[in-house]
Amino acid sequence: MVSIEGKKRFRHLVEECFRREVGSDVSIPDPVQDLLETGVLDSMGWVSFLRAVESASGINDLGELLTERTPSLENIFQAFRDAKAESLLHETQSSDTRKASTKSSVIIVSSSAAVGSRRIPSEEIDRAFGMPAGKLRLRAGIETLAYADEEENELTLGARAAQQALHAAACGARELDWIIVTSETHRGYPSLSAQLHSQLLTRENCGALDVGGACLGLLNGLAVAQGLFASGQASTIAVITSDVHSRTFQPGRVAGEFGGLFGDGASAFLLRARNGSTPQRAYALGEFFFGCAGQYAGAIRVADAPGGHLEVHFDGEGLSRAAITRLGKVILDVELRSGIARSTVQGLATHQPNPRLVTLLAKQLALAPDKFPAVAQTFGNLGSSTCGVALDAVLQSARHLPPSDAAPIFLASLGPGLLFGGGWLVSV
Amino acid sequence: MTRLLITEITRMGPAFCVIGLQREKEKIRSVRPVTATANSWLHFPYDRGDVLQCDLAPFSGSKPHIEDRVSISGFAKESAVPERQVVTYLRKAEVAGSLPELFGCVLHENKNGSGLFAKPPEAKRSVCGTVTQNLRLELCANELRATLALSSGEVLRDLPVVDRDWRDFIEAALSIRRGANRLARLERFLNSQFHYKVLSCPYHFIRLGLTRPYYDLCWLMLDTLIPLPRHDWLEEF
Repeated sequence: MVSIEGKKRFRHLVEECFRREVGSDVSIPDPVQDLLETGVLDSMGWVSFLRAVESASGINDLGELLTERTPSLENIFQAFRDAKAESLLHETQSSDTRKASTKSSVIIVSSSAAVGSRRIPSEEIDRAFGMPAGKLRLRAGIETLAYADEEENELTLGARAAQQALHAAACGARELDWIIVTSETHRGYPSLSAQLHSQLLTRENCGALDVGGACLGLLNGLAVAQGLFASGQASTIAVITSDVHSRTFQPGRVAGEFGGLFGDGASAFLLRARNGSTPQRAYALGEFFFGCAGQYAGAIRVADAPGGHLEVHFDGEGLSRAAITRLGKVILDVELRSGIARSTVQGLATHQPNPRLVTLLAKQLALAPDKFPAVAQTFGNLGSSTCGVALDAVLQSARHLPPSDAAPIFLASLGPGLLFGGGWLVSV
Repeated sequence: MTRLLITEITRMGPAFCVIGLQREKEKIRSVRPVTATANSWLHFPYDRGDVLQCDLAPFSGSKPHIEDRVSISGFAKESAVPERQVVTYLRKAEVAGSLPELFGCVLHENKNGSGLFAKPPEAKRSVCGTVTQNLRLELCANELRATLALSSGEVLRDLPVVDRDWRDFIEAALSIRRGANRLARLERFLNSQFHYKVLSCPYHFIRLGLTRPYYDLCWLMLDTLIPLPRHDWLEEF
């Protein structure tokens, strides 16, 4: 049986997607009305509406379930009931799935961020890349960038963030069952996770895993961690991001309009299975969803070129358009899936390609700009660590609030491809 | 008199939209014959590959449907060329390998749901050919949709399939006369043999088109998928 609450939530989601398709001034039609025959939707709008419901609900075969049925809201609700009934059947048949249902009981017990020690005014970066002084500030909204000093690299920044997170939770590195690491700049072996494994002095049988996704890496890492908890493979996991762009995207190798946007930073999150010893202030992982909007695959490409050079194809305008459209879509889907109004969240930890786009995104979603921590404005685009540093900032802002006042946090990010992902955290 | 090689016959509600190739000196370009009163034909008893004689008035349609020409008289079939040769000519007409090149403009994502669209003043044409790396057809709530990867690696999802022959084929596959489990059998075909038949075809080619402006937007659609379906494929599933 599908719960009444579940049915109500799905109905709300369907109605919201319908309004998005036809406009908020159109009233919701009679559930049994044939939406195509009566001209409420045309065939393009009908499929578009269904895809929106699929994306927001996670029921990916809705279109398939509705083939050979009248295109009506009632049949969508029936397809939902059928899909849920089937998944409940699978759950009762599979003990593994039963374990997976505990995925919401993973909490972030501590977090930390570390950025490159040098703080460089963006005008200095303009000059280094041969651009007019003030271009990065005026066009992208970047005021300063965090650059690693000579002693810093992905390993040292990542290790610093991880140590701080461990200290904040009074957790010894030996308690870690896995470290999950993501970086869009570290290349070479041993991999960054292996190096961090040694640097942090974790147990030999603590797993070390590198995940990709570039700027989406943090969300990928959190989702992988959630899976490891759900399958009973871990009780404590560190998810670490670390990116040092300033050594890769240098003047002469890439154009300033691209290379000048990036800074260096890292973040770390200590995750534990929720049990009786939950700390006073913690956030639990909600659900995550992912995808790839391949129509934007050409907007950014980075590849090795002969002679140790980098071949960068960067369609700044196209990428900006894609980023705004897709991040907006992901955040709306997070809102629909979670049932949490975006206006009520503590903050949004999103990718921040540049501060201008964050401002635009906030405007598009009718959100106060300060709901997005000013990461790119102060440190530059930190790659996979942008989302991490932003999430750490939101978590720190909630630290001193009474539990009842700590609102949920939305996560949304993108990576070349165009990979996208979203999710949410709730206070426990 | 104009000689027109018919390359597109697409479904437009109860009518058909037709596009052909016309040779102009060394150049081959797409031309869309329309009637004086409508953009489509209620009756069009010809096939892809037919070479038709017709009288087309030198009228240029509004952007992006610059290929429109008013047909003054009827059509007379002169000859026909095989499918493979149609593709040879299509490759000499409008072709592109990446998303922005298709219609010479930025293509936008539907923020509310699925589909891609162009803004009419920006698009430079309304039809273009391309080769795909991969292509999938599926039925989404009774609507035939295509998802495909261009040679640039860019992916287009949920394009309405308006190709007359493919739509007829799908309808024939779901005909009640074909017995039980028709939908499941068709889906199995689309997920297996279809893929093999289309992508292993040495002259596999598609043409994408833009709809007429609808609330100021022109939506992408799959006009033509070559190879065209063969009736005997229905015996295979």
